[in-house]
Amino acid sequence: MRFPKPRRVTLYILLVFFAFLFLLPLWTCITTSFKPVHDVIYTTPVELPLSPTAEPLITALNIMQRPLLNSFTFTISAMILSCLLGSINGYILTKIRFRGSDTVFLFFSIGIFIPYQAVLVPLVLTMSKLGLFNHIEGLILTHTAYGIPITTLLFRNFYGVIPNSLIMAAKTDGAGTWTIYRRIVLPLSLLPFVVAAVFQFTSIWNDFLFGVALARGSEAQPASVALANLRGTTEFQWNVQMAGTLWYALPVLVIFFVLGKYLMRGYMAGAVKG
Amino acid sequence: MVSVAIINLTKTYGTTAAIKDLNLEIKDGEFFIFLGPSGCGKTTTLLCIAGLLKPDKGEVWLGNELVTSSERDVYVTPQKREVAMMFQDYAIYPHMTVFNNIAFPLEVRGEDKSEIVKRVTATANLLGLSQLLDRKPRQLSGGQRQRVALGRAIVRKPKVFLLDEPLANLDAKLRVKTRTDLKKLQRELGVTTVYVTHDQVEAMTMADRIMVQRDGVTEQIGTPEELYNHPANLFVAGFIGSPEMNFTDCTLIKEGARLWLDAREFKTPVPTQVAPKLESYVGEDLIMGIRPEDLYERKSVKGSTQKNALRMTVDIIEPVGPYLLLHLRKGRCSLVARVKHTTARVGQEVDIEMDPSKMHIFDKKTAKAII
Repeated sequence: MRFPKPRRVTLYILLVFFAFLFLLPLWTCITTSFKPVHDVIYTTPVELPLSPTAEPLITALNIMQRPLLNSFTFTISAMILSCLLGSINGYILTKIRFRGSDTVFLFFSIGIFIPYQAVLVPLVLTMSKLGLFNHIEGLILTHTAYGIPITTLLFRNFYGVIPNSLIMAAKTDGAGTWTIYRRIVLPLSLLPFVVAAVFQFTSIWNDFLFGVALARGSEAQPASVALANLRGTTEFQWNVQMAGTLWYALPVLVIFFVLGKYLMRGYMAGAVKG
Repeated sequence: MVSVAIINLTKTYGTTAAIKDLNLEIKDGEFFIFLGPSGCGKTTTLLCIAGLLKPDKGEVWLGNELVTSSERDVYVTPQKREVAMMFQDYAIYPHMTVFNNIAFPLEVRGEDKSEIVKRVTATANLLGLSQLLDRKPRQLSGGQRQRVALGRAIVRKPKVFLLDEPLANLDAKLRVKTRTDLKKLQRELGVTTVYVTHDQVEAMTMADRIMVQRDGVTEQIGTPEELYNHPANLFVAGFIGSPEMNFTDCTLIKEGARLWLDAREFKTPVPTQVAPKLESYVGEDLIMGIRPEDLYERKSVKGSTQKNALRMTVDIIEPVGPYLLLHLRKGRCSLVARVKHTTARVGQEVDIEMDPSKMHIFDKKTAKAII
């Protein structure tokens, strides 16, 4: 039997150590979620609960139910809309092209770099003028608009790899711009759609700032804001807070487990072919 | 089936002109080939006919229909032109089966289901694709993909076929077979075909007529025989024929009543029937061209060098099966001769003779053929 080289062994030890380090917060989050208040006080966060209970999870879910539903609604809507629009933009910018299309793309790119904080005041004013303040629709519109630049960039890079001859062939075959998109480009876009969807889902789901600015305390309040409110004002209910965090983190975790391999491939595809 | 006419077509990319004032008439049902080195504007011309590219200037006519004219602001989209195009990389849709690929042009035109099935089946039979209809492109070989692309082009019975280097990605053996198949198919369908290639053998074997292009400029248009036997200039003479035509710098001199081509190493009389055309060039620098098959090895007769024969040293002998290529040298002059057999060995001297009626003479300044 051959033993692995010492350098390999060192590498693995380091990797395991860092993996452990990164998983520690999640671990404490899980353990604390199953602890009654007594255990929270008398055990360290890393330790297992003395008398495990699901009560914090149920309490947290009761409070978080509506905000979680809100978050699902606007996250999925805005994700679908921004991916579709990004895909259409990417198609037009790479395969149709028009006078000034590079300039248009430049503006899209600038959109990626506008910090959330910079638009907060005009955003809130606009939304209240539109009557969308404290409404789910307002959050959908905002997140869609903010997602378009990055999805456009992503799809544009991907569509750059689709050979132009394919589009030209479809044109001579008699297909119009929209038919080419629907019949040729869209069916070839599974990979960028997965990548863009995961990216959009995570960033919209995790957003706090727009949520707190546009829908705090209202019926439309997102889960991220509700989670912050779990902290309470007089006492710290660590176990309920951790349970709420667990509920809040669950969808993102599931998505990464299910679609992780597509995501890696998508990133690679972008990396190899600039 | 229609004719194709191109008038004063010009297309510029940045500052370089891909096509300059191209004028061309392709006859109804003709197999017409654009031949030239890469980057000479062949594909650009093809894209302008298809409507996939708008020219800066000029007109394109398909039969009696004006489809492109920048002056009169006419532009018929590629979707509305009755032309089918086949691309060098085949451009078959990777997510569709062979059946769906061939059916695509019919589907987008809104043909009904039963008609689509009928025509796709017929096309697949014609091209030997019947067994592969359910396959996806990635499960096909290069030759099969090429036929799928061809099927997609012919299924809708277009008026004009545009083929952009359709054989370039096939291996040598398959290319020769497909060449014949393609020519046969074109005869059967009788569709006006415009074909782009950089391979002169392909062009010579398939075309009714060939246009030789270089740097966006037409060098010559003619039948394969015309291009081979009467090249209009040095470029065409050198581009067509393999091995290449031999070229030698020479000066035209007059001795008594006869005209001679003096190439320093040898001197050869100008045949009397072409002499009048050359009268005005006496004293000027010319280039003489002779094809390797028009050079003969004279069986050595006792005595000194024969008249009109050139004694040269054999550098290399290349056997090419049915014939041999002799690479010959004398001073700065080197020639390739194509002979049936030879007794000469490398390093030996042989007497070479040429058929003066097969001689080509070019003006060195203009590169144009004089005879």
